[in-house]
Amino acid sequence: MMKILLIEDDREAASYLIQALDEAGHVSHHAADGETGYAMASGMEYDVLIVDRMLPRRDGLSIIESLRVEGDNTPVLILSALSEVDDRVTGLRAGGDDYLTKPYAFTELLARIEVLARRNSPNEGQTSFQVADLSLDRLSRKVERNGQDILLQPREFRLLEYLMKHSGQVVTRTMLLENVWDYHFDPQTNVIDVHMSRLRAKIDKGFKQPVLHTIRGAGYMIK
Amino acid sequence: MKSFLRLWRTTTFRLTTLFIFIFVVASISLMAFMAYQSSIQIQKIQAREIEQEVRELVNLQKKRGVRSVANAVQILARRPGPGIYYLGDDAGRMLVGNVSNFPKQVLTQDGIHTFDYSVEQVFPNNARKHKNRSGYALVSSKRIKGGFRLIVGRDIVERRGYAAIIFRGFLFAVVGIVLLSLLAGALMATRVLKRIDSISDTTDKIVSGNMSERVPLTNRDDEFDRLAGSLNDMLDRIEKLMNGLKEVTDNVAHDLKTPLTRMRAKAEAALRNGVSAKQREEALQATIDESDQLIRTFNALLMISRAEAGAPSGGFIDFDVSEVANDMAELYAPVAEDAGIELVVKTPEAINILGNRELIGQALVNLIENAIKYASSSKAKNKKIMLSVKQADGKVKIEVCDNGQGIAKEDRERVVERFVRLEKSRTEPGSGLGLSLVKAVAKLHKGEFYLRDNKPGVRAIIEMPNSK
Repeated sequence: MMKILLIEDDREAASYLIQALDEAGHVSHHAADGETGYAMASGMEYDVLIVDRMLPRRDGLSIIESLRVEGDNTPVLILSALSEVDDRVTGLRAGGDDYLTKPYAFTELLARIEVLARRNSPNEGQTSFQVADLSLDRLSRKVERNGQDILLQPREFRLLEYLMKHSGQVVTRTMLLENVWDYHFDPQTNVIDVHMSRLRAKIDKGFKQPVLHTIRGAGYMIK
Repeated sequence: MKSFLRLWRTTTFRLTTLFIFIFVVASISLMAFMAYQSSIQIQKIQAREIEQEVRELVNLQKKRGVRSVANAVQILARRPGPGIYYLGDDAGRMLVGNVSNFPKQVLTQDGIHTFDYSVEQVFPNNARKHKNRSGYALVSSKRIKGGFRLIVGRDIVERRGYAAIIFRGFLFAVVGIVLLSLLAGALMATRVLKRIDSISDTTDKIVSGNMSERVPLTNRDDEFDRLAGSLNDMLDRIEKLMNGLKEVTDNVAHDLKTPLTRMRAKAEAALRNGVSAKQREEALQATIDESDQLIRTFNALLMISRAEAGAPSGGFIDFDVSEVANDMAELYAPVAEDAGIELVVKTPEAINILGNRELIGQALVNLIENAIKYASSSKAKNKKIMLSVKQADGKVKIEVCDNGQGIAKEDRERVVERFVRLEKSRTEPGSGLGLSLVKAVAKLHKGEFYLRDNKPGVRAIIEMPNSK
């Protein structure tokens, strides 16, 4: 369960989002303007802040900047109707941790805030990961399943590394493109799926229990 | 009055007026200077003449005595003209002469004098003729042997009259020139106004909706024809752009209406009675997929217009194009492989440029996706896509070539336009914006995007200057 603050002036969109977050088992508060949002964010502890960029009374980016100056490092997901690279860069430079363009799929938002909330967890500096009988060592770049070596291409290794770092969490296709390839656009065809099916063939084929799961309408998860 | 105001507001007419003013001031100054100079000169000459006469009379006295002088003065005084002669005794009484009442100074001091006088007063005998005419005299006064005073001089009022005549003539000339220039200015201004009016008439017609109007040319090839020519060129361009915009709008409407109609139909079908929960769920999922496609179309449109409008330096970073090309090839290799296409990358060197890495990446993705689509249709056994990045003469050249069915020559330019899709049905997936975005990205980097024949297949080329 996460404690989430949503700062968003569109009340209808906010109420849908809060309901959906509720159903996902999170507790969320809502502020409808920049000033209230800033007061709530600095007065209470939250696991994640979801901040709309354009808000009445106080701009979203200035809220984030103020919080960062005060030493508040709560992860922030910026929501914006402005898209594209430059806006994204200014958003992240202001201290945001992730950026999502409206309109977005709820599954995408949920996956991203779950990853954000656990960003500061101890597994950040971890050098090896273990999921069931699958293990990955970041230093020796070795992947093993049930004692057998698995040979991966460099990109496949990075894919698996990212998935295992966030094991038990849904990872979307765009998150993979952003974090594994470092590009922030939306490819039209199912390029990520093809990569995933190759990875799956290497780590799950011949084993009874699959570790790599496709989450319908959302993305992938390793568990 | 109104038409005069209109005339007055023209630049030509105002300039003419200004020149007339300057001309008049200059002429008057010149005239005044000349008049002053010549009056000084004339006075000098007359003074010399007077001195000469005085000297001759003094010589006469030396040779023949004062009586001869008196005779000579009497003869001279009787002659008509502006001459002033006087011979008087020591007490200031006139012996002979035609003027008697000089100012006291003249009668007592030697030298050249000038003074005003009334002719009536000076010439009592000629009063009828010269009544009320004021006079001005230049005289030389000299005391000669025997205590006599000899005065010789000229009435120079006549000379003043001469100046007045010149001045009057000059005034007529100036007035004439001013009137003529005004007329010329007015004529010129009217002519210019007529040309300007024909231009503004045309623009008025265009503003009121008749886009096909053009400014008439006169074949005189003057500055107005040149202006009209460039205006017409601009109008041609605007008309072309407007037609393009109309086509884009029509296409946008079509491209957005089709998925919206499908969405609506699916939602309606899901609401019908007797639809199972599973079918309903499928319909909802399909609706979401359709709306995602719409969002993608909008995003692509926005990205294109931002790239087209973009300040070139916004979001520009230093990055290696070859690396981006390799990343994209690596990203798409599995997709291509699944489609039975070999994707080859050729990047002989790292090429660092200042640019927008994300947009270059997106452009490459669009080209690769297109190439995969085209190569799939290839009848060749070894379907192949070649991606290359090279640099020559300060230009970076990115090429994506396929060996598919290719694009007909006449379609190559058109297919880059927004929403242009070669298959008429528009049933294939895709927004028809892919190549437009590539073109916009090339333009943002001050480069060009064009398609060539790969015999068989398409060579899509982005060529841009390396600004680094």
